[in-house]
Amino acid sequence: MSATTLPGLRTRTAANPAVRRRRLGPGKPIKFGAALGPVLLLVIWSVGSAAGWIDQRILSAPWTVVSTVGELISDGRLQSNLWTSAQRALIGLALGIVAGVVLALISGLSRLGEALLDGPVQIKRAIPSLALLPLLILWLGIGEGMKIVTILLGVFVPIYIHTHNGLRTIDSRYVELAQTVGLSQWQFIRRVVLPGALPGFLLGLRFAVTGAWLSLVVVEQINSTSGIGYMMELARTYGQTDIIIVGLVVYGILGLLSDAVVRLIQRRALSWRRTLAS
Amino acid sequence: MSSKRLLSVLALLTLAVTGCSAKADADSAAKLSLDAALPTTIPAGTKIVVGDPTTEVALKLSGQYDKVSKYVQFANLSGGPQTTEAFRAHALDLGSVAEIPPINATWTGLHVKIVASKFRQDPINHPIYKLGIAPGVSVKTLSDLRGKKIAYSPGQAQGALILKVLKKAGLTKDDVKLIEIPSTGDVYVQALAGKQVDVAPIGGVQIKRYLAKYSKDGATTIDHGLRDDAGHLYGPVESLQDPAKAAAIRAYVAAWGVAQIWIDQHPKEWIQGYYVKDQGLSAADGQWLVDNAGHPDIPADWSGAIERQQQTIELLAKETGNPVIQAKDLYDLRFQTVAADAIKAGAK
Repeated sequence: MSATTLPGLRTRTAANPAVRRRRLGPGKPIKFGAALGPVLLLVIWSVGSAAGWIDQRILSAPWTVVSTVGELISDGRLQSNLWTSAQRALIGLALGIVAGVVLALISGLSRLGEALLDGPVQIKRAIPSLALLPLLILWLGIGEGMKIVTILLGVFVPIYIHTHNGLRTIDSRYVELAQTVGLSQWQFIRRVVLPGALPGFLLGLRFAVTGAWLSLVVVEQINSTSGIGYMMELARTYGQTDIIIVGLVVYGILGLLSDAVVRLIQRRALSWRRTLAS
Repeated sequence: MSSKRLLSVLALLTLAVTGCSAKADADSAAKLSLDAALPTTIPAGTKIVVGDPTTEVALKLSGQYDKVSKYVQFANLSGGPQTTEAFRAHALDLGSVAEIPPINATWTGLHVKIVASKFRQDPINHPIYKLGIAPGVSVKTLSDLRGKKIAYSPGQAQGALILKVLKKAGLTKDDVKLIEIPSTGDVYVQALAGKQVDVAPIGGVQIKRYLAKYSKDGATTIDHGLRDDAGHLYGPVESLQDPAKAAAIRAYVAAWGVAQIWIDQHPKEWIQGYYVKDQGLSAADGQWLVDNAGHPDIPADWSGAIERQQQTIELLAKETGNPVIQAKDLYDLRFQTVAADAIKAGAK
């Protein structure tokens, strides 16, 4: 800054630097910040196990878990169970996404639809999947259909709620604009509604992907011969704590990874947004 | 969206939902009466769903699976709660359980019959369960149970066992503290290790694990000295009234009997094929389980079993306030010799 020479003004010199304005946002992103929390947990677990503060019988040490993973992989149990679980979760997730989006559109774009659909969805949201299981078995039997429907029911609710909310909060200017340029109903959905509801939908998807994995452990306790949930349940029967922890770790990693994928999609798809996080 | 189009979408959705939930009941073929002779020919296309995962593995290992799979579809269910739930859903025809579930199913209005029974030779020395004693608790004999906190699960074999143990020790429910916990997975071992209960019945490999993990803290087990060895196949009466299914069940019971003997005669294959490969245990665990199970006893005469079951019913009825039912009504006596005859024919 150059010194002014106007009368009555004190000249600013280099010895009098500008007051730094306080930052109100969270600031620059930390490198590998996402890994910091999980790594810290891992460190506490390792140190605690090595020092003997954590009883091995109650929580196996990380290296025990790693060697158990090695054993499970070498006899092929982990891969085959993981593959079965992943198939179930993905089919349930895909169907749940379709159901959630379709219901959110019907309920978001028509008053009658909302009147009919919104209530039942809210009721479903208040009922735990675990409590529905006995009924689902009575209605759908004990086969694969029941398992997928259970996952679907757990998945579609967050998709519906967040998509519906995102859709209802689209700025009315866009709706007016669409009417002015004479868009058809379908063009309006494709050009305005879907992109406008996308932030909400993606947030719902973050809940849904972890929800799909969570429902798995519940359904795989019934008439399954494979899957991560089944592997854990079997280990429970025999008191193999280390295998149970392997299952938990696998769930944790799967949840973290699928969440990371959705966040990546979020960043790509919503690159036009300028928000606090950018 | 116009309301007309919306209504058609909704109608479609409703159709989709009802379409996949409505399940046709069994076809109304001529019912087989429960005292008519069992049909021996299985019509082509007959399928029964069987919840007996252990025998499924035995049939595969012994090379008999293909014979059975023509008319059997296996489901990985066993134990009372899961099998009765599946019976109610008309999704299962046979289940493998212990002594209590057929009694409980009858009390809850589900009409079931036992079609096969398996026991252990020298049962007192080869119990399925032992009483696990928490670290630091001193219980040496059954009379030491007075005043202790005991894990109790009504409706399960472990619960009935505790009632029998108390009766044998000359104690009543008021002399001890019964803590209601369902026995699933390793819950009882954890409850003992965490000193939530003083005594809990634990079975199978849990006994070995419990002692291996906690005996250095003072964990012990004691024998209860009672018979706890009953194992049954049972099914809903509606399946037995279907002549095609009844024939298939009869054939399965015969195959089941032969498979139990095969297990007894091939411990090495059984440990490797079932305990290690199918259940993910170590060979040492498998060996321990085989040694502790002793040898099977599949009688051609059920009168002793019915008598013991009657005593169990009377004890449970008194404790639970349910009516006393007749144990002989729980058994379908047409099947009494099916498994034993098949074993005899196989031994020739």
